[in-house]
Amino acid sequence: MKNTPWNRRDFISRVAGSLAASPILKRPDFLFGQSTKSAPKMEPNAKPIYRTLGKTGISLPVVSMGVMNADVPGLIPRSYELGIRHFDTAARYQQGRNEEMVGRMIKEMGVRDKVIISTKVLPPGWSRDRGEMALPTHSAAEVKARFLEVFDGSLKRLQMDYVDILYNHSADSEAEVHSEGALEAMAELKKAGKARFLGVSSHKPDMALKEAMKMDVYDVVLIPLNFTKANDAEFLKTINEAAKRGFGLVAMKTQAGGAVKPDPKLGKPLTPASQTALLKWVLHHESIATAIPGFTTYEQLEQNFSVASNLAYSTEEQEFLSDKSAVASAQFCVQCSECRGDCPEGVDIPRLMRSHMYAVQYGNYALAEETLASIARGKGLAACKDCESCRATCRNSVNIAMKIEHLKTLTANRVLAA
Amino acid sequence: MLRSVGLLLALILSPACVSICASERGVGQEASQQEMLKLLAEPLPAGAVAKHAASFYGPENLYEYMDGAADIFVLYGVRQMLHIDLRAQAADISVDVFDMGSADTAFGMYAAERSPDFHFIAIGAEGYQYEGMLNFLQDRYYVKLLGFGDGADATLETVARTLSARIGTGSTLPTMLAKLPRENRKPHSEQYIPNDPLGHSFLGPAYVAAYGSGHPESKLFVTVARDRGDAQQRLKQLEQHFTKTGKCEPAPELGEGAIQASNSFEGSILAETKGRYLILLVNPVNGSEQFLKAAAAGLD
Repeated sequence: MKNTPWNRRDFISRVAGSLAASPILKRPDFLFGQSTKSAPKMEPNAKPIYRTLGKTGISLPVVSMGVMNADVPGLIPRSYELGIRHFDTAARYQQGRNEEMVGRMIKEMGVRDKVIISTKVLPPGWSRDRGEMALPTHSAAEVKARFLEVFDGSLKRLQMDYVDILYNHSADSEAEVHSEGALEAMAELKKAGKARFLGVSSHKPDMALKEAMKMDVYDVVLIPLNFTKANDAEFLKTINEAAKRGFGLVAMKTQAGGAVKPDPKLGKPLTPASQTALLKWVLHHESIATAIPGFTTYEQLEQNFSVASNLAYSTEEQEFLSDKSAVASAQFCVQCSECRGDCPEGVDIPRLMRSHMYAVQYGNYALAEETLASIARGKGLAACKDCESCRATCRNSVNIAMKIEHLKTLTANRVLAA
Repeated sequence: MLRSVGLLLALILSPACVSICASERGVGQEASQQEMLKLLAEPLPAGAVAKHAASFYGPENLYEYMDGAADIFVLYGVRQMLHIDLRAQAADISVDVFDMGSADTAFGMYAAERSPDFHFIAIGAEGYQYEGMLNFLQDRYYVKLLGFGDGADATLETVARTLSARIGTGSTLPTMLAKLPRENRKPHSEQYIPNDPLGHSFLGPAYVAAYGSGHPESKLFVTVARDRGDAQQRLKQLEQHFTKTGKCEPAPELGEGAIQASNSFEGSILAETKGRYLILLVNPVNGSEQFLKAAAAGLD
């Protein structure tokens, strides 16, 4: 048997199973483009819109709570008071403390039978280098054993006998979606009644949906969906197909990027109307049963949940969504690489887009230059010089030609070293 | 005046200055990376050998390394992270050094992940070791080490102490923590929350500590405002919030402007201002008035 040390990802999963503490963390508004201006007022006695989560039959308000970054315990009872009934967490959020907080508050409120709880376990055993998947480093049996161990820790932290949805967490490759060890563990847990339904969460939603539809395992798929996908007809078609086949679809990263992608691209300052507009846009897709926006203040909670009872766009929300400069500035390259085939020179467009993001949106010129320098010889910006304008087309909403022209200008002006 | 401002703006926005500023930003980033690389200069501690070149991650791509766990670091303002894997005899050591930008945010991030149950050790400003893991805090750095294999625990400590010596400065916790009442303080319960303490955007940043011998515990929040006026404004906003969601009454026994308040989801609080500080006690118990006065006195 291979005696390979667990990598960091495995270890965090392992340690998360045995930690027990409750720190308080907070989240800056600006990272989510949330405004500190007055939030839309909640309509008194407004009833939320409910949708059914696919074949699970679970009926939920269209706005739920992504607890991931929230560490103010009071947000959970307040969310419940307002009408939220689904709380999403994961074993590795805050090294297990997020689950502890959810469990403690649900128990204190005595509402376990009235809420839907989901958690996620990251199958250990995958090594990863800057997003490029490597081969699995552990056997299926080892993965299964670790998965069960981590989930056992989750139930203890949640102080629950079962969760309603258990996700295969962050399955960003076909191999992870099909992870034999994870699937065996999940099937066992479902059979034992410890997980009512099984799901998969992924940052590669198109792939995850298509793979899930080939399998007879998952009941729910958790996908990032936001307005940057507005022009991705194929992806939206895939979503609808999955919903028709009975998959319960939950949307995350609904306000264009979330915590890992700071909001400078959306421009400042952002109004509450922009946030509610973004969330409403997602929920206008009826294939989505519910969204799990993350919020860490009471103001954000009220702002987000105000959408649950009214999906009609206000004038201000319509203006925001039709503002081309706002939409254009929110473009970010999802690094799908589908544009590369359009380029006769084979330019590494995704890396050019990333360099643009660093330079223009984050003002991090050193990182932009480093990214340009990492491009293979002959596939960088210099290869673009013979084209009057870029012929590559983004399958999402990125204006590739505009961004390449920006980069050319920055290097011509020596703001960036090419 | 306007002309001067205009000239200044023209200078700032001129291509020359953009180039200089960009160059300075680039220098800052690069200088920070060079500083971090020096921490892992040859000879490596414990006779270790690097398995690969060090890699750097910034807030925009830290998730590639840490998935959703990256969010917290981004929230606390991580500037960049250095990652490297080492091999030391029979042990494999994973090293992550986070440049959190400031000693306070480094402490905040460190405290966010620590548990009072850990085995604490005197490395840097503070550290703990637990089942193949050793994390410590020093200056603006939060260092996280993982070890696997024979002798890993001992190797972790050697690596940690070497890194600490190379960092050199910043071996104390934030000075504000020393001003908080010591009696009945729960060990290792202190935190620093830069934004949205207690779920209110107007309360950041805040230093926090827990008190009491059992459960439920009381929590003391000292929020740092810009000045006295800002502190009073924060108190007013807090009053408005509790009036809207629960109840709020004056607490003159605490001092002028002090309040006691409660609602169904935040529990009870006492709050008052002291200069530029807004002091809150969440879940007050008997004798809390004296405690709050002592806390305020400590801020002089």
